[in-house]
This record gives sequence, C-alpha cells and structure tokens, in this order.
Amino acid sequence: MDFLPDSYVLSRMQFALTALFHMLWPVLTTGMGIYLVVVEILWLKTKNPDYYYHARFWSKLYVLNFGIGVATGIPMEFQFGTNWAPFSEATGDFFGSILGFEASMAFMLEAGFLGIMLFGWERVNPFIHLFATVMVAFGANLSTFWILIANSWMQTPTGGEFIDGHFFVRDYFQAMFNPFMRNSVLHMFFATLETSLFVIGGISAWYVLKGRNEAFFARSFKIVLGCAIAVAPIQIYMGHLSAEQVYHYQPTKLAAMEARWETIPAGEGGDWSLLAIPNDKAERNDFEIVVPQALGLILEFKTKLTEPVQGLKAFAPEDRPHQVGLIYYSFRVMIAIGFFLAALMAVSALQWWRGKFSAEAIGEQKWLMRAWIFSAPLGYIATDSGWIVRCVGRQPWTVYGQIRTIDAASHVPAEVVFSSLLGFVTLYSLLLVTTLYFGTRIISQGPNLTLPLPGNIDLISTEPAQKQPDKRPVEAQQ
Amino acid sequence: METLDYFLPQVWFFILALFLFLYVILDGFDLGVGILSLTADGDEKRGMLMTSLSNVWDANETWLVLMGGALFGAFPVAYGTILSALYIPILAMVFALSIRAVSFEFRELSQRKWFWNNAFGVASLVAALAQGFALGSVLSGIQVDDAGHFIGGTWDWLNWRSLLAALTLVQGYVLIGSTYLVLKTEGELQDTHYRTAKISAITTLIGALLITITTPIFYQGLREKLFDSGLATLFAIIPLLAVLLIGLLLRSLSAKSENTPFIWTLLLFLLSFIGLGLIVFPYIIPTKITIYQAAAAPSSLVFMLIFVGFLIPIMLFYNIYQYVVFRGKVSGIEYGE
Repeated sequence: MDFLPDSYVLSRMQFALTALFHMLWPVLTTGMGIYLVVVEILWLKTKNPDYYYHARFWSKLYVLNFGIGVATGIPMEFQFGTNWAPFSEATGDFFGSILGFEASMAFMLEAGFLGIMLFGWERVNPFIHLFATVMVAFGANLSTFWILIANSWMQTPTGGEFIDGHFFVRDYFQAMFNPFMRNSVLHMFFATLETSLFVIGGISAWYVLKGRNEAFFARSFKIVLGCAIAVAPIQIYMGHLSAEQVYHYQPTKLAAMEARWETIPAGEGGDWSLLAIPNDKAERNDFEIVVPQALGLILEFKTKLTEPVQGLKAFAPEDRPHQVGLIYYSFRVMIAIGFFLAALMAVSALQWWRGKFSAEAIGEQKWLMRAWIFSAPLGYIATDSGWIVRCVGRQPWTVYGQIRTIDAASHVPAEVVFSSLLGFVTLYSLLLVTTLYFGTRIISQGPNLTLPLPGNIDLISTEPAQKQPDKRPVEAQQ
Repeated sequence: METLDYFLPQVWFFILALFLFLYVILDGFDLGVGILSLTADGDEKRGMLMTSLSNVWDANETWLVLMGGALFGAFPVAYGTILSALYIPILAMVFALSIRAVSFEFRELSQRKWFWNNAFGVASLVAALAQGFALGSVLSGIQVDDAGHFIGGTWDWLNWRSLLAALTLVQGYVLIGSTYLVLKTEGELQDTHYRTAKISAITTLIGALLITITTPIFYQGLREKLFDSGLATLFAIIPLLAVLLIGLLLRSLSAKSENTPFIWTLLLFLLSFIGLGLIVFPYIIPTKITIYQAAAAPSSLVFMLIFVGFLIPIMLFYNIYQYVVFRGKVSGIEYGE
C-alpha cells in the first residue's frame, strides 16, 4: 500500500482526530456539572420547583454528552499503548502514573456517583443527592486537572532527566508542577466553564426567542450571564498568561503562532501580524497585514521586548513545526472568539443592569438572544483551536525538545493504522450526527414541568415543600 | 533496597490482578447480559435487560480504564508491547465498548429501540470476544526481543489457542450475566436465565477444562514453570475445586435460589483468577519478561502506591454504596423519567 503515508503520520492523524472529537463532550460535562451543582443548591435552599426542573432538564443533555465522552475517552488511553508504545515505555514512570491517578481519582468518582445523580432522586435523601452531584462535577474537573498536568509535562518536561530517551523521575512534584502546569490547568478549566455557560445561555436564549417557557429560561440565562461576567475576562487573561509561557519556554511554537520567520533581537519592538499567508517552502509570508510595534505590547505590555523572539528560520527545518498556517490561524480564531464572547457578555450585562431581562421584557431582546444562540458553538471551536496550537505547535516533538514524534510511534503496519483511522472517522461521523439529532430533540421537547417533585424533599425542612409549580412570574417568586 | 525491588513489583502485580478481576466480574456480567440480550425474544425484554445495567455499567467499565492506567504507570514496557502487539483485538474492543456506551444513551432517546438493542448486544459480544483473544494471546506468548519490544506480526493473536480462550470467556460472561439476571429479575425472565445459567455453566466448564489440559501440553514455557516450581499439586487442586463449585452452582440453580448462584459464580471466577495468576507470576509478558524487568523505577511505584493504594478502599466503598442504593429487582424498562 504505497499510497499511504508513513505509519507514524497516520497514528498522529488518528490521535489528533480522536482527541479533537473527544474534547467536545467533556468540555460541556465539566462545565455543566458546576451549573448542575448551583441549581441543585438553589433548589434545596429556595424549594422553588423551577430549580428542580432545571436540574432535571439540563441533566438530560448532560448525560447525553457524558455517554459520548466515555465512549470516545476510552480510545484515548489505549492509543498510548497501541500506537505510541515507545513513548509509553520512555515516559511511563511519570506519564503512566498520572493517567492512573486520573482514572482512580477522577474517572471513577464521576462514574461511581453518576447513577445516583441521574436516577437517585427518590432513592437517597436530598443531601446525599447533592453530594453525588458535587462528586460528579468534582470528578470531571479533577480529570481536567490530571490530563492537563500530563500534557503540560509534555510541553515543559521537568522533574527528572532523559537518559537514552528514557525519562527517569527525580522529583515527582517538580514534574507535576512543571512550568506550564498552573496556567494550562486554569486556562482549560475556564475554557470548559465558558463553553458550557454559552451553550446553556444559547439554548436558554433560543427558548426565550421562541416564546417558550420564557420565565423559566430567563432564570438559567441570568445564572450563566452572572457567571460569564467573571469568567469571560478571566479567560482572556489566562490566555495571555498561556501565550507568555510559550514565549518563555517554546520559541518554535511562538514563531509558528506568529508566522514569524526572522528573529527580533531583545531590546527591539516587533510588529504583530493580523493576517498572513505563510509559505513554508519559501520561508516567508506571501502576504501580510501587521499592526506596527504591537508584539511587545501583547507579550509584555511594553513596546520593547526583553527577550528575543526567534524566527522560524533560526531553527533547522527538522527542529520546527511545519503546519505554520494551521497554527497561526487556529491561534487567531481562538483569540477572536475569546474577545467576541467577552463583548457579548459586556453588552448583555449592560442590558441586564438596565432591567431589560425581566420575565416580561426579555423576549424583546431579539438580537441579543440571536447573538447568544450564534455563540453556543463558539466555545467548542475556540477550545479545539487552542489544542491545535498547543499540540501541532509542539511538533516535531512529542515531548518538547526530548522525544521526537517520529520516534514515539509504534511500528504498526500503515494499512492497519489506516483501517482503524477509517473506523474512527466512520464511527465519529455517525456519533456526531446522531448526537446532534437527539440533542436537538431533547431541546425541542423542552423541560417537563409536570414531573412529581421528589417526596423526600420534606426531610430537610419543617416547612412543607411547594408541591405545585409556582405559577407567578419569575420576578415575583423568591 | 533489594527487597524493595522485588516487593514493589509484586504489590503492583497484585493490584493489577485485583483491578482486572473486578473488571472481569463486574463488566463481565454487563457484557454477559449484552450477549444474552441477543437471544431474548422481544424488545421489551431486551429493554429490561439493559435497564438492569443502566446505573452500573459505566462504573464497571472504569475498572478497565483503571487497569490500563496502572499497567501504563507500573510496567510501561509491558503496556506498550502488549497493546501494540494486540493492535487489532484492542482496537476492536475499544470500538465495541464505544458502541455499547452510546447504545445506552441513544436507546433511551430513540423511537427505534430495536436498533440500539441490537447494537448493544452485538457490541457486547464483540468486546467479549476481543478480550478473550487478547487474554489468550498474552497467555500463549507474545514474541518479543530481549528488551521486551514486540517483534511479531500483526495477526499473531489469531490462533486456535486464543480462539479457545475467547470462546470460553464468552461462556463465562454469559454465566455470570445469567446469574446476575437471576438476582435482578423475576418471573418469566428469571426462569429463562436459570436455564441459560445451567447451559453456560456446563460450556464454561468444558472450555476451562480444555484450557487446563492444553496449557501444559502446548505452552513449553508454562509447562517448565509448572513442574519446576513444585506448584504442580496446587494446580491439581484448582480444577477439582472448580468442578466442585460448578456442582454447587448447578444445585443452587435447580433449587431456584436467587442469590447463591451469583456467589458461586463469583467464587468460580476468583478461583480461575488465582490459577491464572499463579501460572503467570512473576511474568508480565509470559514467559519472556518478568515484572521485575518491566517495572517502573521503585520511586514511581511508591509514588503511585501512595495515591492509588489510598484510593482503592474509597473506590470500593462508593461502588458498593451505589449497588446498595440500587438494590432490588428491575421493575420497568425506563431508567428514570
């Protein structure tokens, strides 16, 4: 099968496909888990049935995403062994332990309490149920924590040394708390949260726009907007910190992110490229629009750079990434989305402050609601773009500066990897279509506001709980 | 320090065996129920079978993920070598487990329940077969060089010995699935699975006996180990005990008791596991690479032991708690709302 690329290229394509696709589902479940905790606490505190129905309605979307997340997560772990056996052997002492921690600390916690969270409303008392919901959300976020530790170590491997390509750990905590770790964990944490907020907000806006259960969805809309006021700006700042650490630790990635071919020495200013057509063969940009002298301001908030920004030409072709256009544009797409979401949040917050989001008036905010619906998928695009920058930009290394991707792959025949890649393409296309179909149906059916409330809610208070849905407008209920 | 070099890999061998055992019994009954659902008449009965697993399958499957992570961290060479040698069965298992997972979600939402019922059943069967082939080929020996790197071919895993292991594992899963259903259902459905339990008890026994007989004859490495180690008498006792357990199991099935068949089956699985463990030990890639050769650095093993070892009782506790919360018979075909 001569027409096939090398086995390691196919393994890389397979890993990229499975990772980018897998990411779409836990991104929502980790963020939405926190939202479910919030509405369940509000339910227990206020006994307002709306919050209970919110918990039930959103958990339908939650479990759909969770199922796909589990189904697509298993290939991620096993691929390290099947397709990246030399990598597994070289780094297992540290990397394998971290995956083991993720499974035992995070995965199991989430899986062990999910059943109770979904089906246990009548079987356990309300506080145990809340505890189960908290554990599910906590488990999901612990997963983010461990996976980002593992990936950050691949970006900035510290805490030991490589002897003949094998990593020997000297200090586990130094390896865990490697230079990239803190900002990467936080950047991803806020990415999951922001994506989920805009998905929940977008779906709520759709109901408001359709005039269906406006009061009910005005509630969720305001909860997520309240959170977005904090999250959207913080995420931009986390993005800045992440770019700054690339500047300090990964010069080849920074050069590719900026499509910069020539080096800027320390003490000088540089232009920031806004649009470009990078040409890898000619080692230059065929076309470019720049913002003069802006690079220093972006990286360090001052016009002169304190460290040099090395150009791609400063590195031998085999020591730098080659998909410069992909890295360059993924980076810009992510930034554009981050700023767009923050702007949308700011306009929405202003309208809220002006009292435009009361249950009666919110239906009039048609353009704003449309903007929120438009924004629902943007978080996913930004997150996947960010991961493309992070991992394609790391090439040609699997472990930056230490293990080359070409040396990390198993020697599986190309046609075998090609077959499994084809299998993943087929399966994942079907999964995407089917999930969108069922997700759309859950949304078009809407919340079930006639569900009986769990009988045991009375346990937590001497006052009788409201058994009937409150018919008053939302603003009047407290 | 030297004792530590031996002790730590042994501890991790034991932990891995524990995770694998928990996976095989817990997801074993999930997969067994899945295989059995292919033979159930009518989508309502199939729905009942799936409902009996709806809140536990995910946690059960997680023991496999856990075992993968622990093998990766504790014996990195073995993780890479075994998984890349078994590329096709492992990927087949991964695909099948993915399809099984989504069948649960999609069935709940779909009007065409029959489609997802079938997907669930077929995926369970494929996953079970793939696991059997993988287990069988690990036992029959993976070709490696002195450093433990795989040097065999892509299709090495496909031979009559791994086929025998695969078929036997399917029988075992059907057996534990049947006894689980005896525990969780009532009426007609329960009667059916008293019958399937009896049949699969016999077929499992036949498969297990064939494996027991052929192992010392055809596996030179294991044969030498068996007779040199002085464990031969112990290995003679295990099949006898197994036959005894099968007898007790059949008697409890005839007496229509609800709980004891499942318990006898668990003991049968435990016994098989002890037997397998004793044969394989101290190898992680039988009979080429020992756990001492494949182990990560002692500091890694200690580091992992602190975190994971501390969590094992906690994980067991909340998993058991979940079973307690959802104890009792399955009543309907819908999960919740």
